[in-house]
Parts: sequence; C-alpha cells; structure tokens
Amino acid sequence: MSDHRERFALALSDGWRFADLHSTPTEIRTLLVRDDGRTLLERTPHAGSVPTIVDLAPAAGWDEREAHDRDGVRFEGHEPLRPLLDHDLRLDRWTVPVHGHDAHQVAVGPIHAGVIESGHFRFHVVGERILHLDARLFYKHRGLERAAEGRTLDEGLAYAARACGACAAANGIAYALACEDALGLAPTPQLARVRTLLLELERMWSHLNDIAAVCAGVGLAAGNNRFAALTERARRLNAALTGHRFLFGSVRVGGSDLLIERVVVHAAREEVEALREESRSAWRELLFNGSFQDRLPDVGVLDAANARILGAVGPAARAAGVAEDARAAASGLAYDGFAPVVPKRAAGDVRARLEQRALELLQTFEVLERLLEGRIGPADAAPGGVERPIGVGRVESARGATSCVVERDGDRVARLRLRTGSYANWPAVAHAAVGNLLPDFPLINKSFELCYACADR
Amino acid sequence: MLTLLRDLRRLRRDTALPQGRPASIAIRHVDAGSCNGCEHELTLATSPYVDLQRFGLGVVASPRHADVLLVTGPVTTRMREPLLTAYHAMPEPRRVAALGDCALGCNLLGSASELVGAVEELLPVDLRIPGCPPDPERIANALLALLEPS
Repeated sequence: MSDHRERFALALSDGWRFADLHSTPTEIRTLLVRDDGRTLLERTPHAGSVPTIVDLAPAAGWDEREAHDRDGVRFEGHEPLRPLLDHDLRLDRWTVPVHGHDAHQVAVGPIHAGVIESGHFRFHVVGERILHLDARLFYKHRGLERAAEGRTLDEGLAYAARACGACAAANGIAYALACEDALGLAPTPQLARVRTLLLELERMWSHLNDIAAVCAGVGLAAGNNRFAALTERARRLNAALTGHRFLFGSVRVGGSDLLIERVVVHAAREEVEALREESRSAWRELLFNGSFQDRLPDVGVLDAANARILGAVGPAARAAGVAEDARAAASGLAYDGFAPVVPKRAAGDVRARLEQRALELLQTFEVLERLLEGRIGPADAAPGGVERPIGVGRVESARGATSCVVERDGDRVARLRLRTGSYANWPAVAHAAVGNLLPDFPLINKSFELCYACADR
Repeated sequence: MLTLLRDLRRLRRDTALPQGRPASIAIRHVDAGSCNGCEHELTLATSPYVDLQRFGLGVVASPRHADVLLVTGPVTTRMREPLLTAYHAMPEPRRVAALGDCALGCNLLGSASELVGAVEELLPVDLRIPGCPPDPERIANALLALLEPS
C-alpha cells in the first residue's frame, strides 16, 4: 500500500500542504490544502499498516500516533511510535529519554495550580532550564468522535461543537460546512454572513481573554483586570445577540435560525465600536508599561522555519511570520477581501504572539462592524451541488485553522474527525518551551493559550 | 487610584450580590473533563465585574489548603484517579461543589467507556451549580451560599 506515501509526496511537490490524517478501521485519510482554500482528501485502504509520512510532514506526528491508538494502524518508519490517546503507564513508552549530568524530570499536572484545564507535562530539566518537554494530554478524552457515529447529521453537530466551549462556534461551523459539502449544499450569502459573525464574535472574546491571560501570566493585575472586564463585555454581547455567552445553539446544519432585530444589531454595533476604543486604550497602557514589556521578548521562541515544519497554525504561526489564515480563502463565509496580518517584528516569541492578538482584534472589530448592519434573519444553504460520501469543512478559529471531515451514511454520521487549531499547535508549544526557564513555562503556555478540550475531544 | 475605585464601584453596582465580607473560603478547582466553558466562566468570576476575592473566596494552588473542591466536567475515566487524589489530599472538614450541567450528569456527550459520569458517582456533593455553563454571577452567588452559617 505504498501509494499512500507516494501520492502524498507528489501532492506536496505540487504545492499542497498537510492539513489532517486520520484513520478508520479500513482506511487512512489524508487531507491536504492549498493557499486558495481548495482541499484534497486522499483515501488509502490499509491492512493494519502503511508507510509513514511523518518524515515528509512532521505535522502528521500526532495524527499517526492517534490513528495507531484508535485503529491499531502501524506506520512503517515512524519509530518509536509513541502512544498519544492511550495512557501507557510505562514512562519510557511515552517520554523521550534524556540522559546527562544533573538532568532530571519535573512532573506537572494533570491538575494545575489555577483555573486551568487538565493535562500532564513532563519536563526534562537541568537546574531551571528546560531540555525537553513531553506533553501528555487526553485526560479529558470523552470519545466524542466515536459517540457521534450513528447519530443523524443534525445530532452530530453537538459532538463537534461541544468538544470545546471556547471554540464552539468554530468547531460547529466547520462541522456544518463539512456536512453541507457532503450533502451538495452551498451556503447562501445570508448564511455566510451570520456564520462569519459568529466566528468573529468568538474570536473577539477569545483574543481579549488571551491578552488578559498573558498579563496574568506575568503578574500584571491591572492589565489582566482591564482585559478580563472587556472579555466579560464581549460575552455579554454574545448573549444579547444569540441568547448564549458562548454562542451555543447558534449553528445548524443546512441553515441558520438566528433572528436578530435591527435595533439589537444596531446596539451591538455600538458596543463593538466601544470595545474597539477601550481595548485600544488598554493596549496602549500595556505598550508603555516597561516592566511588563521587558518580560516578553525572546521567551518561548517558535521561528518561521519550525512553525512550518511543525505545521503550526493561527496567531502562533503568524506571530512567527507565516502569513497563513484560513479566512483569506474561506468558502461559504463572508470574508471578502480579507488578508492575513503579521506583526512588524515577527519574532515568534511571547511578545509577537501577544501583538498578533492585538492586530487581529482590529481586523475582527472591522469585520464585525461591517456585518452588524441591518436585521439578521433565518437563512438556508442552497441545494444543487454534487452529493458525496465524505465532506470537508475548514474555518479559522481563534487558535488557527480547524478542519472537520464528516463521512456520512445517508443522513447519519459514519465517521467524524475534528482537527482543531489547538491540536495542530500543541507540538509547537513543546518545541517553544525548550531552552527556556521552567518558571517561564506558564507564560509561554498562556501566549499560545491552546484548549486542552479541543485536542482531547 | 480613585478613578479605578470609582470605576469598580460602578461596574459592581448592577450585580445582585451581597455587600461586605462575611467570611473566607479557599477553593480548589479540578477540571475532570469539561469542555472549557465552565473554566472560562469561573475565570471571569474573578474579573472586576464580580470579583469573588472581595468576599473572601479565593482559588488556591493546592487541595491541601482548600475548604471546597470545585469540580467541572463529566468525570472522564482518565480523570477519576487524579480527582480522588485531590479530594483525599484535602483536610477535613471539606466540601464538594459540582459546577455546570456536565458535573451534575445532565446531557452528557461522549462514549460510555470514556466517562464515569456525574461527580456524585464518586464524591459526596454538597453544592450543585447548574448551567451550561453557569455565568460568573451565578457561580459567585452559589459559592457565596457556602458562607451562610448552616
């Protein structure tokens, strides 16, 4: 079955990029994307074994480990194939051996010292310096993808959306787009508008929260409080528009039932303008706070070359100078004329990732102000496209490109795969931590601000 | 500084919470498999709008300092042991609060083999805070009930 690897290598040389790999009991499926937003799904039957592609696309490392744990697929050449989903009790099965004078391990988690999701980090350190980090997540694995199998396509939405409360709109919309792709439905401009609105509302509170988190990470209470208050206002705005602070229940396969009267839309637009002005002023205060700014440069560096190799996405990749954003070529959404931004000093450190959030917030305010014009009414996707057994949906969540692949059996889910921006970026966090001081890890981690729930599913 | 205090007073005027500082409680939060929604709302329960700390309620870094174990999420099979370990590390008297619908066992999503289920399957639950997720004001109001003399 070596054509899996050969076709993948050919696609790479043809300008395609790796986006996802997942398994079924009988197939390996590889998703590739192009800059213009086109996707290509390669399907290869496997009889328990296929050649690895991890040397061609290191970003597939986690995917192959997951496929092995889930369906027992062996990837020839991927050695050692460490467990990912499975929690092997033997330390040497899932950690990288680190030897040398005074090298020792520091185990952190799964329960952390604040209000933080659960996950385990095994640091290999000398003194306070991190030599290597093994992240062992999936403590929150709820088996959502498997549980969705056999449900109707409508019911399946909850399993994708609720994988993560913080990315519920992005995950839900990626799922809806995948189903519609399989059903031969195309979102109308009205549907595209309401979904883009939801995605940007989610990004607004999320980026405000992430800036607050970095302030908290260095102990700057004033900055944390200011951005936390703005986050609260953004969530209240979500509730005013959709009835839910995290936009739960606002996404539907094949259409939208959201009804927002003109006067509510108008008030929301005024609030977005107010949030834009106040976050600008709060950001200015951070810029002129020397002791805060001194903590940020050269910490947790992920440079452009490694961001590409590791397949990093979203603000973390753009902060390293990789100007890729799924919004620039999104189909079925209303991002006309959207161009990715990167900071002037795209050093890929904590400072650049923080600046990236501030830059993207400005874009988000702009898109929201454009979309919050006039009444929002029910909308439907238009039929008439080609029906197929497997559909693909891709959106840019606040953490980065999120892909959803849905295989259907009539109107039921046969296989669901959700590969979120967080899943893509966790290996980059482990990379960025190397060479830094252990006490700086919380700050580095917060500058990526990835969801554990999004990865664990 | 005065401006800041005035701003805080203005922000808090509209929240329906008791005034003053009746007592103090140390809370240890454990995410036993949540979707991260409850964590984000709990985080904002310490934002200037609600500011739980002013009532003497603080999240502490270790269960050994905690009076209350605040658990979110449907307990996953993988978080069962860590959750029990945290509980047994707490000094008596200790109380358990289940935060959010999942922790209460409502509308759980997932594979049966991966989930233990509601928190009360494992631990005696003293306080139930429903909602998906409950908003910061609701979380704060529920936790403040722990301060009432029983």
